[in-house]
Amino acid sequence: MSILHHPDEELLLAYAGGASGEAMSLLVATHLAFCDQCRRAVAEAESMGGALMEALEPAALKPGALSATMARLDEAPPPAPARPLSRDGVPGPLRPYLSGGFAALPWRRMGERLAYLPLFRRGGMRVKLLRGVPGTDTGWHSHRGTEFTLVLQGGFTDATGSYAPGDLQVAADELWHNPVADPGEDCINLSVTTGPLRFKNLIPAIAGKLFGF
Amino acid sequence: MLAYAQAAFPVRHRPAVRRPPRPAPIAVPLLMQTPGGETHQQWVVAVARDRDRAAFQALFGHFAPRVKSYLMRLGAPAAQAEDLAQEAMLSLWRKAHLFDPAKASVGTWVFTIARNLRIDAIRREKRPELDPADPMLTPEAGPGAEDGLQAVEQEGRLRAALKTLPPDQIRVVELSFFADKPHNQIAAELAIPLGTVKSRLRLAMLRLRAVMGEMP
Repeated sequence: MSILHHPDEELLLAYAGGASGEAMSLLVATHLAFCDQCRRAVAEAESMGGALMEALEPAALKPGALSATMARLDEAPPPAPARPLSRDGVPGPLRPYLSGGFAALPWRRMGERLAYLPLFRRGGMRVKLLRGVPGTDTGWHSHRGTEFTLVLQGGFTDATGSYAPGDLQVAADELWHNPVADPGEDCINLSVTTGPLRFKNLIPAIAGKLFGF
Repeated sequence: MLAYAQAAFPVRHRPAVRRPPRPAPIAVPLLMQTPGGETHQQWVVAVARDRDRAAFQALFGHFAPRVKSYLMRLGAPAAQAEDLAQEAMLSLWRKAHLFDPAKASVGTWVFTIARNLRIDAIRREKRPELDPADPMLTPEAGPGAEDGLQAVEQEGRLRAALKTLPPDQIRVVELSFFADKPHNQIAAELAIPLGTVKSRLRLAMLRLRAVMGEMP
């Protein structure tokens, strides 16, 4: 299946250049697990990083730098950071943040049809998983800030289109939308928000406050 | 004249490996004598296959001062940049067997090592990454795997193309790599609207992609 909704140039460049924080890096790296095209774009951007670094005026090192480094070549290497492979439908980059497959996670329920799981907050970004059974209507809402939603399983549809696994929706604060989970499997999304959601109706608004959206 | 390197770091003779040229003294700018990307690849192969210290020394001479410079551009104090540049080169020594010339040039590979070290050591953050060997990945579309020469050649073209970008475009591209900040702050720093930053970036990428032979 080909991906229709990609991260924009700016997100990919920030990831390749190392400027994005952990939340956005997780979002982009997880998208890359689905998307060959963006993997190529990131590789190209990394080549630009390499070319730009090569073009810098070299900074002289201290006199003993080379021998100090050579003297350490036989040291035991530190353990390399693990880069887990995808398993149980969970893309590799996401796995260190989860205690298991989607079915085994300690989901927090919001009524019969919706559930969520907070993962972490960093630098004003909130990262969580959202889950809805097919046909679930999340209620009309917009956002203070921006909401990035990456489909991991199932799919959803709103006025802007349909989103399948690997697709990324970027909803800026002016967008009021009403995503509905598509038929089939439960829709599971990775969500990164820069501010709380705003609901149009009172009940979801109260629920939203309670659940820390 | 290999006498200096061999006296300091005696290397077993392996006739199969092409000796790297005498490494230049580190403090001397290497711009005049910078060898091409293919030479760098051969040095990394020599490090990976033969634990060749003279080849490592040559790589160190070329890349360590550039990694230091890169880290200082991103705001690291000279002493910390120096330490991390040495760490980056140690990492190169340890991971040389993982280097894949079909994927990137040595310069790009070293850039990604330095980038990740900085995120880990200076920003103290995790950087989620994809393992290229992940079985979930769909195989690369299009023509088969490129060989190392092509990666190097493509980067040569990219380097030339970077020089042809208008100054306002090269500035936003540079800031994407040499500023640890989101683009809205870049816009503020350059005193131009965010939309202008984005459109300059897009124009620059379109141009670079065209040069690299890939349609946007």
